[in-house]
Amino acid sequence: MTLEFTTIAPSELHAEMLRQKNEQKMDFLVNLIGMDWGEEGLGVIYMLESTETGETINIKTVAEDRQNPYIPTVSDLWQIANIYEREVYDFFGIKFLNHPDMRRIFLREDWVGYPLRKDDQTELLNKLRMSDAPLSDTTKEYFLTPDGKVAEKTNTVWGADEYVVNVGPQHPSTHGVLHMRASLDGEVVKRVGLVLGYIHRGVEKISESLTYPQLLALTDRLDYFSAMQNRHALCMCIEKAMGLEVSPRVQYIRTIMDELQRVASHLIYYACMTMDTGALTAFFYTFREREEICKIFEDNFGGRVIQNYNTIGGVMYDIQPDFAAEVKKVSANIRKRFHEYQDIYTGNIIAKNRMIGVGKISREDAISLGTTGPVGRASGWMNDVRRRHPYALYENVEFKDIIRTEGDTNARHWNRMEEILESLNIIDQLIDNIPEGEYQAKRKPIIKLPEGSYYQAVESSRGELGVFIESKGDKTPYRVHYRSSSLPLANAMDTACRGQKFADLIAIGASMDFVIPDIDR
Amino acid sequence: MFDFSIVSKWFHDLLTDFIPEWLVIGIECVIVLLFIIVLYAILAIALIYLERKICAFFQCRIGPNRVGKWGLLQVFADVFKMLSKEIIKMRQSDRMLHDMAPFFILTASFLTFSCIPWNKGLEILDFNVGIFFFIAVSGIGVIGILLAGWASHSKYPMIGAMRSGAQLISYELSIGMTMLTMLLLCGTMQLSEIVQQQADYGWNIVRGHVPAVLAFIIYLIAGNAECNRGPFDLPEAESELTAGYHTEYSGMGFGFFYLAEYLNLFICAAMAATIFLGGWAPLYFPGLDGFNTIMSYIPGFVWFFGKAFFVVFLLMWIRWTYPRLRIDQLLSLEWKYLMPISMFNIILMAIVVCFGLTL
Amino acid sequence: MNNNTYFGGILDAVKSLTIGLKTSIKVFFEHHETEQYPENRATLTFTDRNRFCLEMPHNENNEHKCIACGLCQMACPNDSITVTSEMVTTEDGKKKKQLVKYEYNIGQCMFCNLCVTACPQGAIQFNQEFEQAVFDKSKLIKVLNHPGSKCQERPKPVIASKPTATPQGQPAGTQTTGEPKTETGETPQQEKVAATEPIETKKED
Repeated sequence: MTLEFTTIAPSELHAEMLRQKNEQKMDFLVNLIGMDWGEEGLGVIYMLESTETGETINIKTVAEDRQNPYIPTVSDLWQIANIYEREVYDFFGIKFLNHPDMRRIFLREDWVGYPLRKDDQTELLNKLRMSDAPLSDTTKEYFLTPDGKVAEKTNTVWGADEYVVNVGPQHPSTHGVLHMRASLDGEVVKRVGLVLGYIHRGVEKISESLTYPQLLALTDRLDYFSAMQNRHALCMCIEKAMGLEVSPRVQYIRTIMDELQRVASHLIYYACMTMDTGALTAFFYTFREREEICKIFEDNFGGRVIQNYNTIGGVMYDIQPDFAAEVKKVSANIRKRFHEYQDIYTGNIIAKNRMIGVGKISREDAISLGTTGPVGRASGWMNDVRRRHPYALYENVEFKDIIRTEGDTNARHWNRMEEILESLNIIDQLIDNIPEGEYQAKRKPIIKLPEGSYYQAVESSRGELGVFIESKGDKTPYRVHYRSSSLPLANAMDTACRGQKFADLIAIGASMDFVIPDIDR
Repeated sequence: MFDFSIVSKWFHDLLTDFIPEWLVIGIECVIVLLFIIVLYAILAIALIYLERKICAFFQCRIGPNRVGKWGLLQVFADVFKMLSKEIIKMRQSDRMLHDMAPFFILTASFLTFSCIPWNKGLEILDFNVGIFFFIAVSGIGVIGILLAGWASHSKYPMIGAMRSGAQLISYELSIGMTMLTMLLLCGTMQLSEIVQQQADYGWNIVRGHVPAVLAFIIYLIAGNAECNRGPFDLPEAESELTAGYHTEYSGMGFGFFYLAEYLNLFICAAMAATIFLGGWAPLYFPGLDGFNTIMSYIPGFVWFFGKAFFVVFLLMWIRWTYPRLRIDQLLSLEWKYLMPISMFNIILMAIVVCFGLTL
Repeated sequence: MNNNTYFGGILDAVKSLTIGLKTSIKVFFEHHETEQYPENRATLTFTDRNRFCLEMPHNENNEHKCIACGLCQMACPNDSITVTSEMVTTEDGKKKKQLVKYEYNIGQCMFCNLCVTACPQGAIQFNQEFEQAVFDKSKLIKVLNHPGSKCQERPKPVIASKPTATPQGQPAGTQTTGEPKTETGETPQQEKVAATEPIETKKED
């Protein structure tokens, strides 16, 4: 959809945001995007949504001084803003006043410059460093003194007497190179902090120099277990901006593939969850079934994880003639095997004790932390993009909202388990009715989007994945931003883990099911 | 049933004819030592191979199958690899304690290993407080684990060692209790005597029926915990503490821990076989004389290994099925469930024995 | 069973644990999923949608279809294609671009298929040779046009020739054995023969 903005000056921003949150009930901060508009200056786009009314508003603010940009923080209103603002600080150098923790988040602490600024000389200023990345225990906070000047003070993140255990970046159960620092009191976790960016590839920066078809190749590599949905989001965003209609056949194929991908992803989730809690055998049970889905993927588009399937205006290849039969076979097999997963793990007393009541996130926290997807739905927050902003064929199919209110690991686990069955139901409704038609709409070889800002979200396997494109009418985008579905989940670890045991940290991490390349875009 | 003591006595007498008694005992000690070490190594290799294969079968895989036929040489390749690895010296570790730790574990493992009655007349350490000695020396292993965790000067090993300390000390109680239960039934602590009784009157697990079966189950759970094996592998909880107390070990330092872990598994299984399943005593059915005669032709050590490996399989089955417990759940399982039940079980066994209700 | 009482809890636990044991022992005797890779080469099948390595099919006269337009190079997001061309004057006096060297770096390739879709001539395609591991990084840069090859005389309807070229290509045997013996494009002979097998069996099917 095309975005309209309400522009607010930084000086009035905090008051206005407070009003939006309290009076307009805009309690969900969907996205916080740093921008460099060039002449206009540096600024931030806030995308807000009300979980009650479903209304949305997009607010834009531009910092006054390009050299020393300051914008008041909203991290006291929405918890997720804390990490989003650090990201903006990291890439644009916008300092958020009263933000308690203005450290870099993805880049090294000794990085020079702010790479997403259009005038930044990243490669010139940052030669390849051969030293270890510094990891400081203190942070800066900027605030306004009564006479209107900006002052800074130092906050301590990790005290000298804290027993801080580094979980990661090389750790068997962080599912990649995530680095969590956990402050322990015996076995009890006091606090969890994130150190991100070990595999940050600068996808958003790279995207600014690629044409739109070339952009597509990168989305598969964000959240690789939601590759299909990521690419669907980007394709839809571009198509809508171009005003390109895709055929019903493509819609069917895309919807089915999205759901297959969700099943595959949740099967992987189960595998990881069991492995992290020590049940190594159950790990292989779902991998066995996922393999069959991967086989379908491979037959239809030649890739198992990195699929390259959706294209602007369609899909890369038409589905194979035996596609429907194969999908039905796999679907039946998963349904048949489904009880096995519960028998060996979920129904088990040990697993139950490990999951029930562990890592609770309340509904308010879930919304404030922006934990969309099965995690938010486990806390009783209905946040399914397929319902909120239906796309593809989701308006036409029947599916149950899977929602729980406990907010613990068990609820998250069961949400995913039931979503597997629900996704299979959606597939069943569509698989026999795929209409004939073209699988690739005709389009010009060179794609240029009309000037404007566009946003499109999909329900990826882990929650809302949004693509924001700002176009200046060129064949390359001016700015691309991905609303990561995993970043809020990783950020919620602190809330979920406080007061839990160290072993629970791992189980909670597994139940969040974040994918690191999606966090480090 | 073939009595191995005939062989050892003949050998002893043969030697004493030529050389003085003290030298004979010296020579015999060396032979026994070699026997233990060789058996230890063979069993470790067999167990590691078994574990890998069984684990693979549980997980829809086929396991090692590239080195040698059916992957039989895989373990040798692994050992060779481990031997050729560099032993990394860490800057801030306590070198002496760090290097000593694996030997404590090995010592405990060797000493308990020597208690096992392999066959009739084939016992290495056999005296009237055999079980007491077994429990006492198996406790030495904790020191090794705690030392390993402490001397590594690293956080994961430290947490792992602390968990291990709490776990082993707690579960030692249950082991002691179950053994006590069975001692009530046998009336002796001498391991050879215990097995001899079972050969004469039937296996303990049958003889002691309900309390014995209960004790057997508790022993399996506690034994599994003693061996630090899943679902009680918290000290080395792979997904939490990478490798727990031996995270900082490399090469053969790690190899010793690995070796001891598997041997402890075998010792645990062998003890279960000895105390509950009749050790080397063959399977007899009262009344079926023909069957019993055939059974008694099978040598005792075959029976013994058969039973021990059956228990090993049980333990592996458990390990490769369940998720890991959390430390507080682990302790509450012991102190809230296993301990009271095994105490009750002792009373039950006492009643059974007192009133002559044994089968 | 009541989970709240002490003994109810124990019974419940025992029940759930037994179900677990039952499930795992059932799978113990089931079929193993492991695929034994080098041995199963003969049964490994791939569709023509699998993209493993870019290739430029040549016909029996050592002719390819590339007109050195460079569209693939422009379409590539990773700069893994370098087309070197020269201007030659044909007999009838027209100036014409001719391909000199078509370098493809598989080490950088993302297999996104953009080059193949961008090609107006259908001159390049992905093949299903997946055994691309080499010990030397420089061997990852492949020259796709064969030595001494030249561009095919263009049949008039360009689009009509495309579908015949892309899905199946030439017989796999000729593709692999006829590969250039330059220092960059060379792969060990043994590996190549092995890699050819699955494709050939597929053809027979």
